[in-house]
Amino acid sequence: MAPFYELGRFGDGMSLVVAVLLGIAFGWFLERGGMGNARKLAGQFYFTELSVLKLMFSAILTAMLGLFWLSWAGLLDLSRIYVPETFLAPQIVGGLVFGVGFATGGLCPGTSCVAAATGRKDGWALIAGMLVGVFVFGEAFPAISVFADSTARGAWTLPQALGLSYGVVVGIIVAAALGVFAGAEWLERHAERPAQPTDVTV
Amino acid sequence: MSTIAAGNALGATTAEIRVRARREAAPYTSPYLAGVGIGIVLLLSFVLMGRGLGASGAFSSVVTATVQAAAPGHAAGNAFYARYLVDGAAGPLGDWLVFEVLGVLIGGLTSGLLAGRLRWTTERGPAITDRRRLVNAFAGGAAMGIGAKLARGCTSGLGLTGGATLSVGSWLFVVAAFAGAYAVAPLLRKAWQ
Amino acid sequence: MTAREIRSPRVERGLAIAAVIAGALAAVAGTPTRPARGTVNVTELARVVEQEEDHVTAVELATWIRDGKAGLRVLDIRSDSEFVEFHVPGAARVPLAEIARMPLDSAATYVLYSEGGTHAAQAWFLLRARGVERVYFLRGGLYEWLEQVMNPRVTANAPQAERDSIRALTLWFGGKMEIVDTPSVLDGKLALPHSVGTREAIRKVRRRAC
Repeated sequence: MAPFYELGRFGDGMSLVVAVLLGIAFGWFLERGGMGNARKLAGQFYFTELSVLKLMFSAILTAMLGLFWLSWAGLLDLSRIYVPETFLAPQIVGGLVFGVGFATGGLCPGTSCVAAATGRKDGWALIAGMLVGVFVFGEAFPAISVFADSTARGAWTLPQALGLSYGVVVGIIVAAALGVFAGAEWLERHAERPAQPTDVTV
Repeated sequence: MSTIAAGNALGATTAEIRVRARREAAPYTSPYLAGVGIGIVLLLSFVLMGRGLGASGAFSSVVTATVQAAAPGHAAGNAFYARYLVDGAAGPLGDWLVFEVLGVLIGGLTSGLLAGRLRWTTERGPAITDRRRLVNAFAGGAAMGIGAKLARGCTSGLGLTGGATLSVGSWLFVVAAFAGAYAVAPLLRKAWQ
Repeated sequence: MTAREIRSPRVERGLAIAAVIAGALAAVAGTPTRPARGTVNVTELARVVEQEEDHVTAVELATWIRDGKAGLRVLDIRSDSEFVEFHVPGAARVPLAEIARMPLDSAATYVLYSEGGTHAAQAWFLLRARGVERVYFLRGGLYEWLEQVMNPRVTANAPQAERDSIRALTLWFGGKMEIVDTPSVLDGKLALPHSVGTREAIRKVRRRAC
């Protein structure tokens, strides 16, 4: 029964080995998908290429469906899975600020590591910027901690918030994501593209 | 064989060799397939560890470790840094996410190496200078550092992990992040296009 | 200039179809837990109940606990707050829904109790349906425990040996035996759920344990 670490199947030392291995696979696929290239990423925000959306939602869909069906099959204890907590106001405001930075920098924390690893100086600059940003936040924290800890809702999930069953929410998200993918394909074909042919279909 | 045909054949062969010798960057994988790959990694993380992936937390650990090394009492007295002060020999750098991000660096490097996509360069739009791009990257990174810590995660920790576990705050974060990005994108057009 | 991208429409289409199917089935399934089915041999169960092999008395349970019976698992089917207020030593709290899905220990002997015994009897049935054979419940519930183990009332003319054994058992659990003229109310009879009585009994016990 999963999750193995939570159920005591292996210890802390092994968990760090697992961390590195998972990270390697994560970084590998990010680079394969071109997420280490800031120009490609930024294309998302000009509708020239929507790879970020496609990659993110493909990943979310896969893991989300995986969690549901592994739990249904009795192979995974969903109640032991960590659900990121909800802090309504800080996460909305933080999201907006993050988004501004995302469009300006063209990379996110994870992809900046991929960019840096493949030699992109902008990746290194972004990492440096993030460390400074975190430091500024840390120093300012005592002043804004009330806001930062406000509107907490704990491990609030969409099924709980919407009053729908878990499976129905999963189904809705799958449908919405596929709709978004179809829309993204349409947008890419109809947005302004550079003159040279850049895509190869196999 | 006539001289012209022989000459053509020779020219063609040389051209072939020239193309193969040039280390051309391999084309990227379909984002859908790469995404499914990441989804499987994310699922494996849930199955093995009971938690998802992340990235920004590692940055917090690095900053906390630095602050602690420079001014030990300061870190412990600050509620934000205190979160990342872990008991143990390695201190904050012994955190799971730090190791995961180390893996990301290795994985990104390996994939880039095998695909011929390693290049010591700056990715930028044609209309701006390298220096301008690096300034933008630094500024964008600073904003993301603040935004991610306020939201307690980034596109990996909240977007992927929170997205897959149907966390309300995570989905709100993703919507807000895309909204913020699309809002300022028009102002940055000449930086990218 | 960004590098080219390879697309594999056939594979992508296959994945999309798989996602649609998985998502639609999920919506139909609703909860991410498979309904567990149990089977009962009603004839066998009726026999077990009739021959009173389905329950134990509080004194029997107390003796099992004191003697450290191997594989004993005492389960409390009440609410969290009730459990925190008072529970049988060594008991674990397991709500009824959990009883239906919790992992089972094949070497264990389960003893279930609730406030008055009804929920425990229902949980007993659930575990029998799941195939557990070594399962019993406290027919008089926690009230029986408090009456028979924590604060037993023994008549003055009961034999010395019996009085000594009850006193020793009670003392082991931190309870107190009383010598009275009339015997304990719960002598072999089914007790009705009596929340007020149990709360008072708990209060009496807790005041003593300072």
